[in-house]
Amino acid sequence: MQHFLHALLEGSRAALQSIRAHALRSSLTTLGIIIGVASVITVVAVMNGLSSSIRGQLDDLGSDMVTIRAYTTPEQELLGFRNKLRDEDYLLLKSRVKNIEDITATMPAFSMGLSVGYGRNSTQTQLIGADSSYQNVVRVYPQQGRFLSEQDDNKRRRVAFIGATVAKKLQMPANPIGQYINLSGDWFRVIGMAEKRGSLFGFDQDNYIITPFSTAKALNGPDNLMVEISYRPKADADPKLIEQQIRQLLRHRAKLASEAPDHFEFVSAEKTKQQLDTVFNSITAVAAGVVSISLLVGGIGVMNIMLVSVTERTREIGIVKALGATPQFILLQFLVEALVLSLFGGVLGLMLGYLFAAIIAFSLPSMPGALVPLWAIGLSFGFTSLIGLVFGLAPAVKAARLQPIDALRYE
Amino acid sequence: MMAIAANEQPVVIDLCDIGKSYQMADETFYALRELSLQIRQNEYVAIIGPSGSGKSTLLNVLGCLDMPSQGHYQLAGHKVAELDETQLAILRNHQVGFIFQSFNLLPRMTALQNVMQPLVYRLMPWREREAKAKAALAKVGLSDKAGHLPNQLSGGQRQRVAIARALVTEPAILLGDEPTGNLDSKTTSDIMQLFDDLHAQGHTIILVTHEQDIADHCQRVIRLIDGKLAADSRNSPHPDKLRV
Ligand SMILES: Nc1ncnc2c1ncn2[C@@H]1O[C@H](COP(=O)(O)OP(=O)(O)OP(=O)(O)O)[C@@H](O)[C@H]1O
Ligand SMILES: [Mg+2]
Repeated sequence: MQHFLHALLEGSRAALQSIRAHALRSSLTTLGIIIGVASVITVVAVMNGLSSSIRGQLDDLGSDMVTIRAYTTPEQELLGFRNKLRDEDYLLLKSRVKNIEDITATMPAFSMGLSVGYGRNSTQTQLIGADSSYQNVVRVYPQQGRFLSEQDDNKRRRVAFIGATVAKKLQMPANPIGQYINLSGDWFRVIGMAEKRGSLFGFDQDNYIITPFSTAKALNGPDNLMVEISYRPKADADPKLIEQQIRQLLRHRAKLASEAPDHFEFVSAEKTKQQLDTVFNSITAVAAGVVSISLLVGGIGVMNIMLVSVTERTREIGIVKALGATPQFILLQFLVEALVLSLFGGVLGLMLGYLFAAIIAFSLPSMPGALVPLWAIGLSFGFTSLIGLVFGLAPAVKAARLQPIDALRYE
Repeated sequence: MMAIAANEQPVVIDLCDIGKSYQMADETFYALRELSLQIRQNEYVAIIGPSGSGKSTLLNVLGCLDMPSQGHYQLAGHKVAELDETQLAILRNHQVGFIFQSFNLLPRMTALQNVMQPLVYRLMPWREREAKAKAALAKVGLSDKAGHLPNQLSGGQRQRVAIARALVTEPAILLGDEPTGNLDSKTTSDIMQLFDDLHAQGHTIILVTHEQDIADHCQRVIRLIDGKLAADSRNSPHPDKLRV
């Protein structure tokens, strides 16, 4: 044991000495390891930062809301079909599905680029048709005025509940209630303005106008009737069972054959998170592949330089053998040297990775700062050590096996 | 002069019918053959002979750096043929102090570190190693050069460091393969004075040389010719008159 420690100490000393004596050579040798570790750290840091930021935003959104949306399979699309969910689907679900707190239908009317005007100002926004239950499901609350009421819907009133961005872009007064805005030729009275929600994935969450469902329906015309249905399961209900119930109802109403695919899909923050994880995992897997190749290259670099080093120091090895160094001691010493060399690459790679991650975090404003988890550091060092030991073994064995007389005679 | 007669001392080196052969392309070449020889503790031996007669080969066998092809060799009671690589290393570390013609210091270590090095292979704490190495350096008169690297020392000083390194383990035998071969005559006589002193302190010393001056310092001269023992004679004990 004491022998082992001695050898360890001697090995590290010799290793540091030779790293210092050949700083450039050592750095070039361990380039593969440096790049490998740096890319692990960078990728993990950036992925981690992105994922925690996105998760945070998804949590803000309310993770238990589920939206049912029409879905057209690529095959159907090729055939020119386009699936839709309709008003009647919503009414059916509203009356039949149990265990949900609230359910609402929205009509993503003119969802892309509707022009809205106020005075001489105009801006692009998104128009949503919704009924009064929207407020409870999506959880938007008026900062000023009120949300749409059942009356508004029944009477098909031309009223609008606006997001903060719309008011700001149109340069409306601080209290916009009672002002009239122009939506493609029709005048709407503003009855409420929502609390600010901020942005998600860089998208502004406050750039929208909500009008009563019936009003939006009339504006869109009967051909463009298409709804999204959102609901919140009750806290103690099983979301899977609710989905199953909804699936049966919707398929039955659409008279789908049993082998036909669903004409709708469920979207929820929870599902988005799972999809996100899949994406992140596959990126990490690809990165791991790249990294293991560069670590392999790095390992071969270490082996190469260690073989050179053994040859260069053949005479020295002969001398220490004459002085009484055992083969085990020499084996250990060269193994430690390979280990130190590759750990040296690991440390440089770690620093470089941190630097890259910090630069990326700095240049991407939506990233909350790079975060390197301890496991990534541990894993990098574990892997680097393994590489050093595995690839250091052949040169170390070569050194240990040298016959003292041959080593001393080596020119 | 000598308090104890030479033949009362224990035998340190016992060679019996030693041969060393090299297999060449079409024939076997004998560097050593049928060599039998005993050396006792505190002997002062010179091995001489023409170039290629096997002097270095013999010394390497004595120092366990090389293995004989035939015969038996016993060093300080250990049958060398029966030992594995690790045991041989330990035997070299404990029993042999080797001094080379070309010094063979470790180039990136200071004089003190070089002298400490053999003790690294023993289970010896650093402090003790340093103390022993300092004492050995003092013995060869180089205390003031402890921090110097080999390339900051003269040839004679380097060889003194090498001698200190051979001494520090208190080995049974000191072996020198033409230790003054690379040195001028003034330095040579200094180094020989050092060997004489070490011998007087009780060390067993075996030197390979082809200079008669140096052989004259020794008590016993072994002459090799073509790998065979050609003569084994004792000098009359008057080394003083030969000093320059
Ligand atoms: N590895 C080897 N292979 C073949 N022959 C060898 C080998 N080593 C030594 N010899 C031969 O053995 C003989 C003795 O060599 P050795 O080095 O012992 O001579 P030496 O007496 O020390 O000579 P010198 O005074 O020139 O140093 C030489 O003829 C040499 O060529
Ligand atoms: Mg020779």
